Amino acid sequence: MQPSLPTVSLLALAVRLPWQWAVRLASLAWRAACLGVLMISPASYRAPYGNAIASRLVVDTLPLLAGYAAFSALLSLVITRIVVTTAVTYGLTQYAMEVVIRMLVLEIIPLAAALLVALRVAMPNSADVSRARRRGELEPWRARGVDPLGMVVMPRVVSGMFSSVLLAVMSSVITLVVAYLTVYGFSLAGLPTYVWMFGKVFTPAVTVVFFLKTLLFSLAVALLPMASALDDDPNNRSRTVAELQAIVRLLVTLLMIEVASLASNYI
Amino acid sequence: MTNPTSDPLPLAPDLVPGVRIKAALLLVLLFSLLLAAGLFLLKSRGFFDPTQRLVLVADNSEGVAPGMNLTFSGFPIGQVRRAELADDGSVRILIDVLEKDARWLRESSIFTLERGLVGGTQIRAYTGILNAAPLPDGAVRPVLRGDASAEIPKVLSSVKDLLNSLNALTRSDGPVMATVSQLQTTTARLNGPRGALGVLTGSDADARKIIDSIERTNVLLGHLAGLAQSADGVARKADALIGNADAQVFGPRGLTQDVKVSLGQVNALLEQTRASLKKVDAVLVEAQGVGANVRSATTDLGPLRAEVEASLRRVEGLIGELHRKWPLARDTEVKLP
Repeated sequence: MQPSLPTVSLLALAVRLPWQWAVRLASLAWRAACLGVLMISPASYRAPYGNAIASRLVVDTLPLLAGYAAFSALLSLVITRIVVTTAVTYGLTQYAMEVVIRMLVLEIIPLAAALLVALRVAMPNSADVSRARRRGELEPWRARGVDPLGMVVMPRVVSGMFSSVLLAVMSSVITLVVAYLTVYGFSLAGLPTYVWMFGKVFTPAVTVVFFLKTLLFSLAVALLPMASALDDDPNNRSRTVAELQAIVRLLVTLLMIEVASLASNYI
Repeated sequence: MTNPTSDPLPLAPDLVPGVRIKAALLLVLLFSLLLAAGLFLLKSRGFFDPTQRLVLVADNSEGVAPGMNLTFSGFPIGQVRRAELADDGSVRILIDVLEKDARWLRESSIFTLERGLVGGTQIRAYTGILNAAPLPDGAVRPVLRGDASAEIPKVLSSVKDLLNSLNALTRSDGPVMATVSQLQTTTARLNGPRGALGVLTGSDADARKIIDSIERTNVLLGHLAGLAQSADGVARKADALIGNADAQVFGPRGLTQDVKVSLGQVNALLEQTRASLKKVDAVLVEAQGVGANVRSATTDLGPLRAEVEASLRRVEGLIGELHRKWPLARDTEVKLP
């Protein structure tokens, strides 16, 4: 019995769709890699691009600092109190500080910083670039002999990366200070124990995983939305759908990095 | 900032005053935080603190992991670097002890590896004599193991025995159920017509006997009440009799007056007797004097007797002399044949 025509077309679709998906992902990864190479290239920071990058750094990062510092302090305070109170209830106070450091500094704070930068900096920037490309607004740059990739795109990529790293490091430091003050108060009595506990948590392996995780978070936040913005959608879907797809793609990537770091630390 | 074009272009960099300084400050902030975090991490890992090596030898490395603390009085003074198998199959736990805290470890220190039911394994150091010789670098010491979870099978076995005993006690033909059944019977009998008396005696016949006894006792008590009434009458009569006797004895013409008169006469008689006795005393005094004289006379009789005896011996001697000098004197000498 010969298969009917709808069956054949369904089978063709089942093969074609994953193939298209894989090709788009590869294209996206290629663009992201190109942007990454541009980012580490010294030529991207020479005049006149250096000024554009400095401007984006200030515009994107500075407004976030105070708000995220307050947010991370509040979050640290609440979670530290919860963990310490629970530990006291069960008589496990010796593990409370280790749990706080592991949970906040290692896991929550870098992820929260990456998500904040993605939603406040990277996604709006990529949306701007995508809109400009659709409207052909980058052509005047080329007409005047200036590469819009270096003048428009790269400052936004560098800014996303810088914001993500700065917020993660700053909030980690704030969390460490708030956790210490929450447990020991304004006294230096607990400092040796605290430092010792921090060193116990941050073994060389954990430190490397933490460093890599923060770096990958920053790269994902900086590169993926912009790579999506530079991608030509073959299906010519609406801008909102493309942006939503970029957000989902970024969230899945962040989740996979987080799972990989958890697996590295605890498995 | 320098813009390569004179006209503003789409997505051109924002004109922020002092953008280079602000960007530089942000970079400085980032690198300062990174540097501080790095130094703090190195400090916390003991990179700046000199350490000395301590090797603990155990028979099992279960629960031991790199990064574990060695605590002294609850304070961490060292950290496990790694655990390795020795040539003889024992476990060598390599610990880095901070040199500033190594003074708490002495030659006499004892090390324990404790594993509780909750929480991780802990390595503890105990130093009884703090003025003993300090523990040298690279010292190898045995570690004592204490494993609370090892007690679990023993506890479970005991609990199992206990549950078996409980099951045996509470099964349908077990002692507890038998006791409950008997208690139920007893309760039924308590609620029965004989009540607690039936439970105490054990049979209805005995309970009947006790009830009969009580009834008879009631009758007896009725008789005793009659007797008490009779006794009351007797007591009333005795009371009257005593009243009469009182009048006879203590009345104005009673026995008491007669006794008083008799007592007066007895007193007079006693006076006369006292006078007679005084005379007797005088006679006795005289008799005492006579007695004294007789005693002295008796005392003089001794020497008199001695004199008489001396006179008699002299007379006897004189008669003997006469016999010897007399011609008819007998030969008193006995001659032997």
